[in-house]
Amino acid sequence: MSQAAVGQVVVSVALVLAAIALSWRARIGLERELAVVSIRAIVQLTAVGAVVTLVFQHVGLAAAFVLVMLGVAAWTSGRRIRAIPHGPLLAGAAIGLPALLALGLLLAAQAFPATPRGIVPVAGILIGGAMAAASLTGRRLLEELHDRLDEIETRLLLGASAREALATPLRRAVTTALVPALDQTRIVGLVTLPGTFVGLVLGGASPATAARIQLTVLLSLLFVELTASLLLAHLVSRVVIVAGERIEVPQAQARYGA
Amino acid sequence: MTPALLELDEVSLSRGGRVVLDRVTLRVQAGQVTAIVGPSGAGKSSLLRCAVGLDRLDAGRVRVDGHDALELDPRVLRRRVALVAQHPVMLPGTVADNLAYALPAGAVDGEAARRSLERAGLDVSFASRVAGELSGGERARVAVARALTRDPVALLLDEPTAALDPARAAGVEALMRELAGLGLAVLVASHDVAIVRRSADAAVLLEAGRVTASGTAADVLDAWAGRPA
Ligand SMILES: Nc1ncnc2c1ncn2[C@@H]1O[C@H](COP(=O)(O)OP(=O)(O)OP(=O)(O)O)[C@@H](O)[C@H]1O
Ligand SMILES: [Mg+2]
Repeated sequence: MSQAAVGQVVVSVALVLAAIALSWRARIGLERELAVVSIRAIVQLTAVGAVVTLVFQHVGLAAAFVLVMLGVAAWTSGRRIRAIPHGPLLAGAAIGLPALLALGLLLAAQAFPATPRGIVPVAGILIGGAMAAASLTGRRLLEELHDRLDEIETRLLLGASAREALATPLRRAVTTALVPALDQTRIVGLVTLPGTFVGLVLGGASPATAARIQLTVLLSLLFVELTASLLLAHLVSRVVIVAGERIEVPQAQARYGA
Repeated sequence: MTPALLELDEVSLSRGGRVVLDRVTLRVQAGQVTAIVGPSGAGKSSLLRCAVGLDRLDAGRVRVDGHDALELDPRVLRRRVALVAQHPVMLPGTVADNLAYALPAGAVDGEAARRSLERAGLDVSFASRVAGELSGGERARVAVARALTRDPVALLLDEPTAALDPARAAGVEALMRELAGLGLAVLVASHDVAIVRRSADAAVLLEAGRVTASGTAADVLDAWAGRPA
């Protein structure tokens, strides 16, 4: 093992043990949980490390890996809109279309090499961003539909179409969902050095190259997240708008997931 | 008898698996004030919502001016038959924004806004107030003014006097008579027995989703008073 590897293992394990000791001393009761999540993290990352090594060797496996990422993202985001029938499918469409479109454009422009090493990390970032936007949009939109149904019905009563009546809740949901993407782009380099940049610099790229790639990803994410948010909002409103310019929110209970 | 302006025919509705309206039949004549009375939870608000297509009927039919409501554009129906909800919600913006909402640009000019506000018992200066900052009673009257800017042929009022002091309530009572005098069909759900007795031409008693008495306001109120509580 290299000197760095020894240092990593020794310091991180020592810090976890210190945390467990501290929890015990202060009678917080988190000893067991600290130990469990640490071991889980080791197992998960080791497993993913092995899979990623394989995935990086075959384009077909890389494509399958991207689909798995998309599936996990769709499932996770779909849980946020459990009240809506086929939530994961709608979320999958809202996440997958813009993320894969942006990925395709970047690859076509040869912004990244069309190899597993190029595709998997970029796809991960784009899908992850789209998922965050879709989840926030779905959650906020269902809150609006539930908590402000009387405002929506007031608009209907005044002669608005169901689409018009939903315009304000929809806009609120999309603007809320875009806050993290906007803020992340606003403060880039000033407060945080985002993952791509750090990874590339640690991997030996020049800071200028790393900054260019990070910028490409960040700016692409603005498009991907806005589109994912709008798509999800649109798909959900298609479900809740029913004949006769009415809004029907499926089953009031189990409205928005934890 | 002239054909009714607004007609509910054997209307049934269930919500959350419970029967809320059970084959309710009701006729509302133009030029009259018709009252719906009945205990809390009887289905008065639900009945008004059904009349403007806010809930899907399980059975039955709503007719406006002899036309099946399902054949009308719901947006047009809800302007012609304007419902003022039991707890009116103010939309963002000023009172003037609220009055003009969803109407073609320019449809509510200063004069139209003034007329609606004054009819609802509000000074014209209210037009520039932020709607969300109004008191409950002020909101109730803005909601009536908002309905009137749509030039309805029927006005449906759900407990319009519940948030008002006696003087303002008397104002709403006078307005209902005035609008009926102008030929509108006025349908009001109210707990206020005195107001119904004074201002309604006809009434129905709704109990547990069924019409249990109908006729003149006096007869229906007497029937209701005679019920064991
Ligand atoms: N969204 C809903 N889901 C399930 N039940 C509902 C819903 N809305 C109303 N109800 C039920 O329908 C019944 C009739 O309610 P409604 O509001 O029409 O009564 P009401 O006569 O207007 O009462 P009040 O005088 O208190 O205003 C009540 O039992 C109520 O609990
Ligand atoms: Mg009511």
